[in-house]
Amino acid sequence: MDISCNNYQVGSAFDELVAPDGRPRPLANGLCDYISGLGTQELTGRVAAVDAAIMIAGITFTVYTEAGNIDRAWPFDVIPRIIDRREWERVELGLKQRLTALNLFISDLYNDQKIIKDGVFPLEVLQDSKNFRTACIGTMPRFGVWAHVCGTDLVRHSDGEFYVLEDNLRVPSGVSYMLENRQLMKRLFPEVFGRYRIQPVDDYTAQLYDTLAALSPRPGERPVIAVLTPGIFNSAYFEHSYLAQQMGAELVEGADLTVLEDDCVYMKTIDGLQRVDVIYRRIDDDFLDPEVFRPDSCLGVPGLMRAWKKGTVGLANAPGAGVADDKVVYAFVPKMIKYYLGEEAILPNVPSYLCMYPKDRKYVLANLDKLVVKPANESGGYGMLIGPQSTAEERAKFADLIKANPRNYMAQPTLSLSTAPTLCDEGLEPRHLDLRPFVLQSDRLYATAGGLTRVALRKGSLVVNSSQGGGSKDTWIVEGVQ
Amino acid sequence: MMLSRVAEKLYWMTRFMERAEDTSRLINAVTLMTLDLPGEANFGWNTLLKVAGLDQLFFAHYPEANEMAVMHFLLQDEHNPSSIMACIANARENTRTFREVLPGESWEWVNELYLYARKELPGALDRRQRYEVLQGIIRRRQSIVGLLSGTMSRDDAFQFLLLGRNIERADMTSRILDVSHAVILPADTPAGAQYGSLLWMNILKALSAYQMYRRHISVHADSAKVVDFLLHDRRFPRTLVHCLDEIAGIVQVLPHSTAVLASVHSLQSMLDMADCDALATAGLHEFIDRIQLGLMEIDTELRERYFRLQDVHLSDSVVAGVDAAE
Repeated sequence: MDISCNNYQVGSAFDELVAPDGRPRPLANGLCDYISGLGTQELTGRVAAVDAAIMIAGITFTVYTEAGNIDRAWPFDVIPRIIDRREWERVELGLKQRLTALNLFISDLYNDQKIIKDGVFPLEVLQDSKNFRTACIGTMPRFGVWAHVCGTDLVRHSDGEFYVLEDNLRVPSGVSYMLENRQLMKRLFPEVFGRYRIQPVDDYTAQLYDTLAALSPRPGERPVIAVLTPGIFNSAYFEHSYLAQQMGAELVEGADLTVLEDDCVYMKTIDGLQRVDVIYRRIDDDFLDPEVFRPDSCLGVPGLMRAWKKGTVGLANAPGAGVADDKVVYAFVPKMIKYYLGEEAILPNVPSYLCMYPKDRKYVLANLDKLVVKPANESGGYGMLIGPQSTAEERAKFADLIKANPRNYMAQPTLSLSTAPTLCDEGLEPRHLDLRPFVLQSDRLYATAGGLTRVALRKGSLVVNSSQGGGSKDTWIVEGVQ
Repeated sequence: MMLSRVAEKLYWMTRFMERAEDTSRLINAVTLMTLDLPGEANFGWNTLLKVAGLDQLFFAHYPEANEMAVMHFLLQDEHNPSSIMACIANARENTRTFREVLPGESWEWVNELYLYARKELPGALDRRQRYEVLQGIIRRRQSIVGLLSGTMSRDDAFQFLLLGRNIERADMTSRILDVSHAVILPADTPAGAQYGSLLWMNILKALSAYQMYRRHISVHADSAKVVDFLLHDRRFPRTLVHCLDEIAGIVQVLPHSTAVLASVHSLQSMLDMADCDALATAGLHEFIDRIQLGLMEIDTELRERYFRLQDVHLSDSVVAGVDAAE
């Protein structure tokens, strides 16, 4: 196994740690020296210790298979990704700008719809939106914020620039892995933390608590905050329980809550009923309230929408926020930023072709082998076509899907995702990455220092989702070399 | 503040943990005891199943109660929800659902116990490794008890842990006491008396009570004395009276506990009135049946009062933490 960066083969993609000439980038110098200095045996020993720690800590996620659900250990790669703090400051501004505009957009859609009247956003996109909730029309949550927690997926292209791939505004997950990764890293390579000035990440849960507390309908008192989970069988259950524990909040399931005649939400406790002020819900809109959405849902709480609209409980993210979490709406975000904030987008979008427009559709259908085609409303990497890796049969299937429902598809050029050295069986090899920072908004704006770096562990693969063979790395925002 | 669902899970988590530990102790004691009993004493492995209340379930899956089958069934059979492995897996799953109310390390320790059990329990089928493996279970479980006792606030969550532990212990003690009924000794042989004392000694050992009994009561394991000790000794933490005292003390401070407390008191007075000399000769088995019913009664009351807030309760119930005027 070769763990020095000297024989590392940089591909055509941008590499986060190693320059095209094969030498470590300035910020990665210390890390590369350190790792090759450890020697293979020492490194292998430490990695084994971390794997054991992951098993013992039960840091797992659930994979749904035909043979039943499997609880898998979280695949963690020990080589961190390093980003210069000066570069990150700009990204952070861009993330905050983006979420601010998205929230203004959602408020507008459920109220005056000025952006449509002014001809900036097409009415037909809204009309076909699966995640537009008529039940939310005319509602204005506190601070005009709907998406309080946003996971923005970024990728770095071969030009070295970060691009926004998508905005996850429904129930984005992964932040607990970001926090756990840092803990693991401190156990694994404590010495390196002395060599770098790495921005800490662990104030996220305190920031999340404050963001949620600001939504309390009874300001002044210590709010009762609950994390609403679909339960132990959800793939992100580990995270739900982790966040509740870190915030000192109650972890509740739908059946623990009830809405009484006063339209307030209560938890069933051994002391009787206890009012709940803010719910950080980690279940989808569809299942939230069987009175309003899917009547067969037993995960939700009957009457919850009533309570929320009356303002007796804060809900994060607000129902209906998913309307902007749509890969077609995504294409309009730079225009939204201009429209609502009068600013240019700091973070660029990936160029997108919307199949609803005949010209774009024609181009997409003619270039399916070069493009990535995405359905508007899927998450987790499902239902996508990756053109260059597809078969003719798959392309024919997607051509039919697009023609049948053009509004539901968009396409993007196949990006070259950046790579970073990743510890594989043979030593360090480049693997593709993305980055999901988490952005919070209520009466304040906050973005994580870095985020969750996801890595496609299969050679050449561009799919980083943990449900499809992805792993993760610790992400370091570091002070540049003086 | 304690969610009803969480209270119930905490209660069951410790019951399962306690059951896993007690079963480990029981198996260790019985394995040693079989080496001592005379050939003609009809101690079969099915006795162990009867004690555990699992004989019916066992015979639904196995034709014959030989050592290998019974051990497999008690240690790791997934058809047996009370097998040590099932108890630990269940406790682990429960713990996962309330990590936020326990000290941070508890989950890791419970998970470590689970990983240990999964790896080592199959080895306990073999008599030569059995003792070590089961001791490993007991030791790990005791570390968790110690961790909680040393790092957890005496809040409602802690009280429900204690409740589960004491109910399960009381249940196990009464079952093990019942072994005396299941073993029929060859009464007419001259060695009968000697084996009788051996049996009572092993009952104490199965509860890890032998040393304390010897220190505080007697060096001789005499039936009436052992029965009295296991029912009435307030100092030893596995006796029925001790467990019930603990339960009463906890229930007293829980909110709105009148009905639960009444069920505890009624079992306590039944226990107080027991005449151990008489029970040692006849009627112990029937008496233990009544104790078990009493424990089930407490369990039912707990469930109705704290775990399953029915809709009936919702409309007329106490609304905590909210001003009436609001």
